[in-house]
Amino acid sequence: MKFTIQRDPLIASIQDVAKAISPRTAIPILTGMKLDVRQHGVTLTGSDSDISIESFIPAEENGIVQVENIEEGSIVIQSKYFTEIVRKLPEQTVEIDVDDSLKVTIRSGKAVFNLNGQDASEYPQLPKVETDDSFSVDTTLLKHLIKQTVFAVSTMETRPILTGIKCQMANNVLNFTATDSYRLASREIPVDHTSLEFTCVVPGKSMNELHKILDDSEENVEISITKNQILFRTKHLSFLSRLLEGNYPETSRLIPDDSKTVIHAKTKQLIQTVDRASLLARTNDNSVVKLVADQDGFIEISGYSQDIGEVSEEVQVSGIDGESLNISFSSAYMLEALKAIDAEDIKIEFTGAMRPFIIRPENDQSVLQLIVPVRTF
Amino acid sequence: MKTWSDIVAVQPLAGKIMTNSIKRGRMSHAYLIQGARGTGKEALAFLTACTLFCAHKSGVEPCGTCLDCKRIASGNHPDVHWIVPDGQSIKREQIDHLQKEFTYSALESTQKVYIIKEADKLTNNAANRILKFLEEPGSHTTALMLTENSQSMLSTIRSRCQMIDLKPLDPTLFQQRLIDEGMDERSATLISEMTNNITEAKTLNDDVWFADARKLMIQWMDISCTQPKELYVFVHNRWMPHFKERHQQDRGLDLLLLAYRDILYAHLDKMGGLTVFTSNDDLIQKGVLAFSQQKLLAVLQHILAAKRQLQQNVHQTLVIEQLALQIQR
Repeated sequence: MKFTIQRDPLIASIQDVAKAISPRTAIPILTGMKLDVRQHGVTLTGSDSDISIESFIPAEENGIVQVENIEEGSIVIQSKYFTEIVRKLPEQTVEIDVDDSLKVTIRSGKAVFNLNGQDASEYPQLPKVETDDSFSVDTTLLKHLIKQTVFAVSTMETRPILTGIKCQMANNVLNFTATDSYRLASREIPVDHTSLEFTCVVPGKSMNELHKILDDSEENVEISITKNQILFRTKHLSFLSRLLEGNYPETSRLIPDDSKTVIHAKTKQLIQTVDRASLLARTNDNSVVKLVADQDGFIEISGYSQDIGEVSEEVQVSGIDGESLNISFSSAYMLEALKAIDAEDIKIEFTGAMRPFIIRPENDQSVLQLIVPVRTF
Repeated sequence: MKTWSDIVAVQPLAGKIMTNSIKRGRMSHAYLIQGARGTGKEALAFLTACTLFCAHKSGVEPCGTCLDCKRIASGNHPDVHWIVPDGQSIKREQIDHLQKEFTYSALESTQKVYIIKEADKLTNNAANRILKFLEEPGSHTTALMLTENSQSMLSTIRSRCQMIDLKPLDPTLFQQRLIDEGMDERSATLISEMTNNITEAKTLNDDVWFADARKLMIQWMDISCTQPKELYVFVHNRWMPHFKERHQQDRGLDLLLLAYRDILYAHLDKMGGLTVFTSNDDLIQKGVLAFSQQKLLAVLQHILAAKRQLQQNVHQTLVIEQLALQIQR
């Protein structure tokens, strides 16, 4: 195997791929980075077995030759050293040569590195994905989708399935749902040109990584599902994640259909008020704040801590419909939900002080944040 | 041991149980493989994993040459997890990692295999965490736990696994092999009691440290039979300086165990079972006079207790001192 490559695209690719590689791994070969050289370009792969990232460097892009003198082959190189070496090479072009005994020679200018490679066939085989089973989503939209749900996944390992986001595709609607059983976040978007239907649970950790690695300049992400992995693919980057096994709890029944009290409010104003109230509520377990709504167009949000003191604030809201209300909830959950909702005006629908309430943007049914109230005396 | 037929030759019952359940597709979700050192626990676990993953097997025999088999052998298969004690025990973090793997889907195939070596070294905390997964096994996961001593594991774990008992190797066969390798008969008898591994046996035989250890053991026996009051001094002057490390001390106690057992055999006229001494040794006659059968049983108990204490991190010098005092009494 042999090829000559431009250093800049190589560094960019290595940086992407290295995000998936963890130095502490149970499978020794995963400390390495796989290079797969074909006539049309070079594919780099990194993996920690939970997520895998593949980056493709085409031999020629926009008329610029990036890879040349290609002899096909594959090799696994220790990622820690390879990354450092490539970053510090003196010249713009890098020549990589692998002999039959898996010795890797990296040459740039007068600098020569000899590394011991590993057999590429030992590397885990990532699933081959058929393009028929895929659909494409706008990148910024997908990033929104992740950001608006991923914070709600459970961090407790007691119910492992809740550490993931449920991704469901049905009737041309893609839905992401996350819950830790005290609150729930869900968002759906329409998807065109697909008849695909599936349900899978993707680990929240993987989604966070994906959010970091997706580049806003990319237009579309192609998503496909295999038996045990989900693949997100942009032009030169593939991101694979393993799925969580098990049945995700049925969440649709949690969401109340009717409401007794509806509050219409400005998001920013509410965030600031709840934030202030939470200052003094922070000492108790969930930093619980209380919300009292009467008919006069004002709501009162108050926080109380036995040792420190109390705070209360009246906020004018755009409107209150229905019964008067007295409810307590975790300010941390409320703040996260409000920040994730990403709309200027919101409406909060309550069905009594002991029932979960839902927050939605005004005039938009696609985003939903649900919070279970706290019982207080 | 590379194939099932090799295993069946050495461990007919265990080999048959495993091959039959593979053939009939009736694999249990968890196996507890129990057997003394060198009885082929790991080989059995390795072969089971290969058989489950190999796509080119003939009957139950895995091919050993395909990608899956090769990667299981090199420890690089993403769906086969080996858990090995980290130091003295298997720690909670290792089980945490395993727990996470239980909840994720497999990477390449649709099944997962976990092999826990020296499963008796699970800390209580770790063992309890693993219980949950033995109770509610996921789909297509197989756990293989290897142990030399299943009795020291939680009974709750034992009751949730299918037990596979490996029978002990025939010591005379191994002795004969050692003698064929050029070892003298007395060393062969002794060493075959200490290990079941041929390479380990050879290194032991060539080890100067071990030769000295044997001499010291004879001296200990001599002193404990003839002038027991001196034993305590002997421990400090001679014994402790030689047996410095914990594992060396363990070896030393093994030697003592065999020596006192020999005297007991001499009492019972079972001269065939002697390992350290021969029937016409002076020392063994002295031993028979110095120790009654009852006393010998007590001594053996004390040595076993000392071995246990060593494992529990009791200070070495204290353990041996206590043993010396108990023997002298």
